[in-house]
Parts: sequence; C-alpha cells; structure tokens
Amino acid sequence: MKKLLFSGLLAALPVLAQAAPPAAQPDEELDALNVADQAPVQVEQAADWRSFVETAYGNTQQRYGLPGYQSGRISIDTALDKTLAPGWRLVFADRLDWNWQGEAPDQAKINTLKELYLSWHVSQEQIVDFGRINTRYGVATGYNPTDYFRDDAVRSIVSVNPSSLRNNRLGSVMLRGQTLWDGGSLTAMLSPKLDSTPSGEPFNVDLGATNHVNRYLLAASQQFSDTFNPQVLLYGEQGKSPQVGLDLTRLLGDATVAFVEWSGGRSASQYAQAFGGPEQDTFRNRVTAGLTYTTENKISLTLEAEYDGAAMDKANWNALPQQGIARYLQYRDSVQAAQDLPTKEALFAYASWQDASVTHLDLTALMRQDLSDQSRLSWAEARYHWEHADLALQWQRYGGKPWSDFGVLPGRTSWQAVATYYF
Amino acid sequence: MRIHHFALILLFMGAVAQAAPSAQEILAASDAVRNPDKPFSLTNTLTEFRDGKQTDGNTLMIYAKAEKAGGQYQNLIRFVAPARDANKLMLKAGNDLWFYDPSSKASIRISPQQRLLGQAANGDVVTVNLAKDYSAQLLGEEDVTDGDRQTRHCYKLALAATSPDVTYHHIEMWIDTGNSHPVKSRFYTESNRLLKTAYYRHFETQLGVVRPTETVIIDGLDPKWVTVMRFTDYAWRDIPDTWMQRDYLARFKPE
Repeated sequence: MKKLLFSGLLAALPVLAQAAPPAAQPDEELDALNVADQAPVQVEQAADWRSFVETAYGNTQQRYGLPGYQSGRISIDTALDKTLAPGWRLVFADRLDWNWQGEAPDQAKINTLKELYLSWHVSQEQIVDFGRINTRYGVATGYNPTDYFRDDAVRSIVSVNPSSLRNNRLGSVMLRGQTLWDGGSLTAMLSPKLDSTPSGEPFNVDLGATNHVNRYLLAASQQFSDTFNPQVLLYGEQGKSPQVGLDLTRLLGDATVAFVEWSGGRSASQYAQAFGGPEQDTFRNRVTAGLTYTTENKISLTLEAEYDGAAMDKANWNALPQQGIARYLQYRDSVQAAQDLPTKEALFAYASWQDASVTHLDLTALMRQDLSDQSRLSWAEARYHWEHADLALQWQRYGGKPWSDFGVLPGRTSWQAVATYYF
Repeated sequence: MRIHHFALILLFMGAVAQAAPSAQEILAASDAVRNPDKPFSLTNTLTEFRDGKQTDGNTLMIYAKAEKAGGQYQNLIRFVAPARDANKLMLKAGNDLWFYDPSSKASIRISPQQRLLGQAANGDVVTVNLAKDYSAQLLGEEDVTDGDRQTRHCYKLALAATSPDVTYHHIEMWIDTGNSHPVKSRFYTESNRLLKTAYYRHFETQLGVVRPTETVIIDGLDPKWVTVMRFTDYAWRDIPDTWMQRDYLARFKPE
C-alpha cells in the first residue's frame, strides 16, 4: 500500500510542478558570460572638479570679395562644486577663451567668470544662495523667451549651437531663495544693479553686463500628474513692466515631447530698445512651440516655431538698411546681446544621431530660418569620442540675400576642427 | 483503505497548493531580492563589450525610492564617469523624465524613447519593481544554467505589461524556486522581438539580503554586444520626496 501511495504521489507531482527538461543555454550566451568575466573591478568615484581643455582651428570663406581667413582658439573650462560643511556648498565655474584670427596673431583673451556662489541648505525644503549664479529657465531648444537672465550674458561666442551659448555665459549676482514641497517648488531671485556698462576687458568680471539694472524673478512649479508639470514665472526689471512666463511640456506617446514656452507683458519694441524713442509700451508676446521626436535608431529631431512680438515685422526689417549701415548694425547688435530674434518669426530644427552607424560617432545638425527674409543659418558637426577626449569637425554656412538676417554676414562658409580633452 | 489513501493524496495536494506561491508572489519575492525595501543608493559601473573587446565604460550613482502611491521606484541618477558627462543628472519618476546638465543649468524633459539613448536605460533597470507593472503567469519549472554557470531549478514566468507606459512589452523570467533569486530574464517588444537577455549573478549580502551584485545584459540582435552592470557602494539613504522633482535637480549634491 505504501508503494501505491508513493507511486500515486510520483504521478501527481509532475502535474503539480509542470516540470520541464533542463533548458539549453545557447552557446552565444555562454560566450557573452565569458566576455563579461573580463569586466574591470575598479569603481570610479565622483569628483568635485570638472575641467576640459579645447583647441580649435578653422577656415572661413567670405562674401563681398573679402579674402578667406584662418582662425584658432584655445579654451580652458573648469568647474567646482564642493561641499564645505554639512549644508554648505561652494559653486565655481570659469572659462578662458584665447582666440586668434588671420596670419598675424591678433590675440584676444576673454575670461568668463560663469559662477561663484555659496549655497546654504537651511533645511531639506529650504535653500538660500548668494553670489554670481547662472540661472536658466525655459523648455525650448533654440529660443528661450523665459530665460530672463540671458541678455548680455555671453562674452565669447565659440559656436552658434544653442547649447554652447547656454554653457558659456555669465551668471548674474543675486540672492536666491527656494522652498520645495512634494511635487512643487517656489524660487525667488533678487539681482541688484552693481555697474552700468558692459566691459570688453579680458579679465573683467563684467558686472556691467549682468547687473546693470535691479531685477527680480519668481518661479513656481507644481507637478499635477506624470504628464502635466507647468512652471510659471514673473520677471521684473526696474523701469520696465513685469513679464509673465509659462513653460509647459507634454509627453505624446513613448517617443515625443511637445513643449510651449511663452513670455508676455508690456514692453517697448526691439527697435525702440536699440535706439530709444517716444514709443509707447504695448503688450507683446514671445513664444516658442515645438516637439522633440526620438526614433528607435537613436535619432532625435527637434522642430521649433519661434515668435518674438517685440521684433521687427517683415516690411520694417526689409526697410531697415535704408536707414544706413550704422543703424542696421546697431539694431542687430542690440538684438544679439539680448539673445532675441531680429524679426518676428523663425523656424528652428535640431537633429542629433548618437552612434551614427559607428559606435561613439555622433552627428548633429541645426538649421535656423528667418521667415521674414528666408535667410538661413546651417550648422553640422561630426564628433567622435574616446574615454577622455573628443574630436569634432564642424561646418557652418550663413545663406541669404544681401541685408538679410544671415545673408549680410561676411563669413559665408566655415570649417573648424575641434579637439577636447576632459580631465 | 483505498478511500483513505485517496484522501491522503488529496490532503497532500491541498497542502502543496496552499504552500505554492502564486506567480505574482514569486515575482514580488524576486523584486525584493533585487530591491531594498527602503530608500537607498548604489554605484552602478557599466562596462560594454563588442566582439569581445571593451568599447565603453560608464559609472552611475543611483538614488532610489519607492513612490508612496503605486510602489514603483523613482530614481535620481548621477553620472560619475566618463569625465565629459560627470555630474549630469537624470530624474525618472514614472514617465516624468528630466535630464539636467550642470554646464547649461538646463533641465530638459525627455521621452522614454530618448532615455534609451544613454547607458542609464540599462542602469535604472536595477530598480524596477516588475510586480507593479507586469502581470505574471507561471509557465512551469525548469533547470537553467545561471550567470555563474551553475544549474538552478527555476520557476519560469511570463510577464505581460499591465500599462502601455513600461519599457518592455513582455518578459520571460526565471526565478530560483528555493530562494527567489532572479536568475535570468528575456525582454521583448510588442512584436515579440528579443531586446535583451539579462543574467543576474555574483550574489552577495548587501543591505541585509543576499542580492545579485552583477547583471550581464546581452543584446537581443547582436549577442556579441554585452553590457556588464556591477553594483557596489550600497547604502541606506534619507531621500525626501521633495528631491524627486525637476526643480530640485540643480540642487542635488550627494554627500
């Protein structure tokens, strides 16, 4: 009887367990595990310092019968983020660009003291900072109307790539306080006037560029859901009307992020700001809207429509050269310093392809088209990277009719090789 | 007598049925082996091989905390190496994904597909509570060779995504019947294309539980593309809820 019971159990157990024969492990997986055994055991530790040295050499072909020229650059970029004591943090970032152009070395050094501030974590929810702080808001890629501290912040333009313009700029001296709660935050910034005019001196901290007027900014955000996380801003500048900003993003499916960045308020036109004048402030909108789509084969494409309600309309822009080259250039310089658009409407496209058919080779391209005169800026880069170094080849072209946004610039086409070493 | 024996067998079967965990419980037990039950951090060193040669290396510090609602992990990921990416951050709270670059001070929202561009796509696999996002079905039991080339007797589970938001449409997973250790997983797309195979190995006691300290990921299309993730520096962390948002990224400074 015991035998019967035992055999009954034996019969039942396989049914209970649904046992299957041992699964064969594919040889290729065994090979992969053997390869994995070779992984190094060393573990990298986080560092407070980040530094790199970059050298560039290029050639530019010009319009107007002007001769082409060679140019070069050496840059040293360093950043420190150090915890001094529990709750206390020191942040420092600086960049030195040494440019030369043509056969005779016309040496021009420009130092950019990007940040130097002290941060105090009063508690886990409250933080106070004081010093030169690079603060940036905005969800768009090419034009950021809510990046309120952007004007006059760039001392040395080393690339037209918007990410370069964001990386290499001055912070503003300010007192900043932030309070956080679960899913939300409120930040207040006060930036006083400390100087009157920007400086061209190579090693000037250039407070005249970033602190030429008393300013404040309030930024609040609240996460309502996984897909809805708006940010609202209020910006004020002495002698000007307050501006309201809104940053919205939305996930569309698995591969697309849509964004809208808007700033509105009463203000003078770009023209009046460049030349002064009796013009009345009116309510003006600045908007960027677009989306970023990422493919399965590692290509990301961003398309943006940009609108600056304070910029010139098509008719006035086309008529501006008739006021003389001096006024034309003054307007352009004013708009460039403000990092705004010279005309009301533009399109911007940005594409990047990571590991473009070759591992560690990244391809990037951007295009900005001024819709008032159909002139166009095109830029492309192929970048290969090793563990500590990058080598990049960049191409740039300004195209368009004479006196157009991009067609007026003497440098038509340029090539540049850039080598970067990260420490 | 026959009736007596039949009753005994039924009793035994009942006891076995009562003791046998459900597929979902098996999966949850395996999640608990991989994921500590309180907020924690670890260092994830990723080494990539192609055709047997090392081609890439990345180091990530991962701060992980389970959401109050839902129990899925939120991750704050700090890039440690290579030097060009040092101190960049990624926040992953469900499908709310943000990338922060300390050079530009820009917090950029990214899509789940965009997240897959970087090594962090593999890196944060370490803290996924599969039982929260997948419905498990027990396919049977079988002996499999584990990542340390030992034979293990495993439950074989089929996991089906319960929401369209997750990275993998369905997963096959082998879990040790004796100790709930995850042994091996295969991750698939909706069209049943094999994306990757993962082996969990080098089990050690970390934060009080024996856990896998290495995951070997083999690409589904190219088996000679191998990524090794090694987990070290496990530590309990006090991670406030206020950290898990876009506006904290610029403030995050690990001790």
